[in-house]
Amino acid sequence: MRERMKAFLLAGCLAVSSLALSASAEARTLRVAMGTDAVSFDPIATSDNGSIWTQLLIYDTLIRPDKAGTGLEPGLAKSWTVSPDGLTLTFQLREAKFSDGTPVTPQDVEYSLRRAASEKSDWGRFFRPITGFKIQGDHEIVMTLDKPFTPAFNNLALFSAAILPKAKLEAEGDAFFEHPVGSGPFVLKQWSRGSKIVLAANPNYWQAGKPGIEGAELDIVAEGAARVLKLEAGESDLILDPPLNQMKALEAKDGISVGQVVPYRSDFVMLNTTKPPFDQEKVRQALNYAVDKEGLIKGVLYGAGKVAATAMPVMAYADPGLEPYPYDPAKAKALLAEAGLGNGFSTTMLVNSSNAAHRNVAVALQAMLGAVGVKIDIQMIEGGTMWETTKAGNYETALSFATSDTIDPDQLIGFLAVNPERANAYHTQWKNEQLNALYAEERSTVDGDKRGQQFQEMIRLFKEGAPDIFLYHPASAWAVHDDVKGFEILPTSNFRLEDVTFAD
Amino acid sequence: MLRLILQRVMMLVPVLFGITILSFLLLQVMPGDPVEHAMGTRASAEDLAAMRRLWGLDLPLWQQYLIFLRDCATGSFGFSLFYKLPVSRLVLERLPVTLALALYSTCIGLAIALPFAILAALRRGRLADVLIRQLFVLLLAMPPFWLCFVLILEASLRLGLFPTGGLGTGVLQNLHRLFLPALVVGLSTAALIEQSLRATLIDTMKADYVDTARAKGLSASQVFRRHILRNSLISTISVIGVRVSWIIGGTVVVEKIFAVPGLGGLLVDAIQARDFPVIRGLTVCFAVLVVLVNLLTDIAYALADPRARLT
Repeated sequence: MRERMKAFLLAGCLAVSSLALSASAEARTLRVAMGTDAVSFDPIATSDNGSIWTQLLIYDTLIRPDKAGTGLEPGLAKSWTVSPDGLTLTFQLREAKFSDGTPVTPQDVEYSLRRAASEKSDWGRFFRPITGFKIQGDHEIVMTLDKPFTPAFNNLALFSAAILPKAKLEAEGDAFFEHPVGSGPFVLKQWSRGSKIVLAANPNYWQAGKPGIEGAELDIVAEGAARVLKLEAGESDLILDPPLNQMKALEAKDGISVGQVVPYRSDFVMLNTTKPPFDQEKVRQALNYAVDKEGLIKGVLYGAGKVAATAMPVMAYADPGLEPYPYDPAKAKALLAEAGLGNGFSTTMLVNSSNAAHRNVAVALQAMLGAVGVKIDIQMIEGGTMWETTKAGNYETALSFATSDTIDPDQLIGFLAVNPERANAYHTQWKNEQLNALYAEERSTVDGDKRGQQFQEMIRLFKEGAPDIFLYHPASAWAVHDDVKGFEILPTSNFRLEDVTFAD
Repeated sequence: MLRLILQRVMMLVPVLFGITILSFLLLQVMPGDPVEHAMGTRASAEDLAAMRRLWGLDLPLWQQYLIFLRDCATGSFGFSLFYKLPVSRLVLERLPVTLALALYSTCIGLAIALPFAILAALRRGRLADVLIRQLFVLLLAMPPFWLCFVLILEASLRLGLFPTGGLGTGVLQNLHRLFLPALVVGLSTAALIEQSLRATLIDTMKADYVDTARAKGLSASQVFRRHILRNSLISTISVIGVRVSWIIGGTVVVEKIFAVPGLGGLLVDAIQARDFPVIRGLTVCFAVLVVLVNLLTDIAYALADPRARLT
C-alpha cells in the first residue's frame, strides 16, 4: 500500500513538471476547447460543426463568405466573372500551393467539384447544376450550366466545395482523409478522436504573414461548464460556447473577455397546418402575437440573442424594415375569438429532450400561451426521432430550429417555406403558391436588386402565413484570455484562426 | 480451471449470436434514420434513396445481417456510416481508456472501502459504524455530475493538484490526469463494496467455523484475517464484477465532463447519429467484455474459495 502511494505521488510530481515544461515550450500554440469533435475530414461526407470548422482551417474554397457574412470574397480564385445570362462562371486562380508544396491547379478544381457533385456526396444537389468544366492555361477554369441557377455560384463558397489535390486523393483513396492535405492556413498534425485535434501552421499558405500562431490545439470538451473551468485554470486560451448563464461571471473576471455573434440560425415552433385549428391563418398569427420574444431571450438565453421576425435568419438581401410580430396578448385573444376559439384550445408540443435551452423555452411558452387560453402539453422526444416524427406529420406543434449552410437565402427559404420542394415547408405542410412561384423565379434571376426584392417578398409572405411561431436568433458565444487577439466567430458559425495572434 | 475457461469461451458463441440478432432487430424497430440524420434538411427523396442504396440500407434485413457476420469474421465489425472507418478501429482506440478507468476506479474504490468496512463491522452498532454508514449512503446518493464539478473546482482550480480533464501521454501522466474521473467512479464503487462487505463480515463473524477457530486458540487478528476477511471478500468479488461490467458502458457523464474519450461517449454519439454499424459493434463488444468480466470474477472466486474450484 505504501509503495503504491509513493509511486502515485511520484507520478503526480512527474506529470505536473512535464506539463509545466510543455506549456512554456509551446507558448505560441493556441489552445482551444470546443464541444464537438470532427467526424471526418472528407468535405462531401460531413455536415456537423466540428468537421466543418476544422475543414475550413485546413482546406480552401474558390470563393468564401466575407467576415460580415453578407458578400463573397476571393479564396483560391483571385477574381471571377459571371456571364449576364448566368450560364458561364470564369475563375482566375491565384498562385497557391497545397501544404505538401504542390501547386493548386485548375485540374484540382475540376476534380474536387465533380467529386462534390457525385452520388457519393451528401451535398451533391448543391453542385450538380454545374455541368461543364473547361480549363484554360494554368490558372483559369470556366464552368458552365445548362440552365440558369443563380445559387450555383454561391454554393462554391460552401466547405463541401473545398479544393483537394487530385493526384494525391486519387492515389490514396479514402485514406487521404486521415492525413488530409489542403491549401488552407493549417495542416492536420494529429487527431486523437474524441480527445483533440492538433493543427500546425501551413508553411506554404498563400496569405503572407498568416497564420499568426504556430499552431492550434483543439481540445474536445463536451461539457460547457467544464470548458469554462479549463479556461479559468489556464489550460485553454479560448473556449467556444460557454454556458450562457455563466457569461456575466466570466466577463467580470480579470484577464478574460467574452464575445458573441448572432449566426445564421433561428428557433421557432413548427405548426402542423393540416391539423385544426392550425389550418387557420388567424390562429397561427394569434400564437405569434401571444409570445413575448424579448422575455424569452432575457429569461432563457440570458440576453444572448435577437428577436426573430420570421424563421429566416437576417442574411443577404434581408429587409431591414421587416418588423417581428409584436407581443400583444389582447390581439392574440381577439384573433382567436375571431377564429371561433374564444375559450382557447389544447394542443401538444414536441421538444427535443437533449436540448436544454429548448426544454426551458418550452416551459416559458407553456406559460405565455396559457395566458391567452392555449393549453400546451409538452412531449419530450429523443432528438434522433424528431425529424422522422414531424416528417410523417405525427405532431401538432414542435419546437425546432434551422441553420443556413450558405450566405444566400435560397437554401433555407426553400427548406422552410416552399412546398413541396424538399421538406413541404419544413413539415408544416403550409403552401403559398405565390411564394412557390417567386422561388422558381429567384433561382434563375441574376444576383442583384431584383432577386433581393423577390426574397424580401417571399419572406413577407412567409411572415404573414405564419406556418411557425417565430421566436429568436440565438447568439454563439466565446470567451478568451486577454492575450489572444483577433478571434471572432463569424455569422457563418466558423472562425478564422489564421487571423489570431498573441499579444506579447 | 482450464475447463472453466473453455466452458466460458464456448458460452460466448451463443451469447454473441443472440446479441447480434437482438441488436439487429432493436435497431430495426428504433425510430430514426441515419440517412436523414446525415442530409435530411437539404436532400430530396431521390438523394436520400441514392444514399440509402450506397450505404446498403435498402437491402433486406437478412442480407444486412449476413454482411455484418462477414464483417465480424474479417475483424472490421462493419464500417461506421459517418466516421467511414472500421468499427473495430473506433472501438480499439477507446477501449484502453475505458478499461483503464474501470481498473483505476475499482482500485480506488477498494482502497477506500476496505478499511471503512472492516472498521464498521468491528464496531457494529456503535457511533463509528453509524457515521461510516451515513457517509457511504451520502456518497452513493451524490449525483456524479455534481461531484465532478466540486472536485474540479476544489482539486483543480483552487488547489491546482490535477488538470481539469483530458488525456495525457504515457502511463504516469494518465495516472495523474485520470485520477479525478477515477475517483468519482471509485467513490460510488466504494459505497457499494462497503455496504456489502460490512454486512458479510458481520454475518461471517457469527459463523460456527469462526467460533471453532477461536476455540482453537488463534489470536483475534489471526481469526479475522484468515477466516473472517478472506471468506467475506468472496462476496466483494461478485460486487466488483457487476460494477466493472456497468462501468464499461455506463460512465458517460464522467467521460463528458472530464473530456475522457471512452466507449460510453462513443455509444451515445452513435445512437444520436443512428450510426447502426457502430451501435452494433459496440453492443457486441460490451457483450464480450461482460462475459469476460464474469469469467474473471469466477476465476478470482475460485482462487479465493477452494470450494468453488470443484464445481
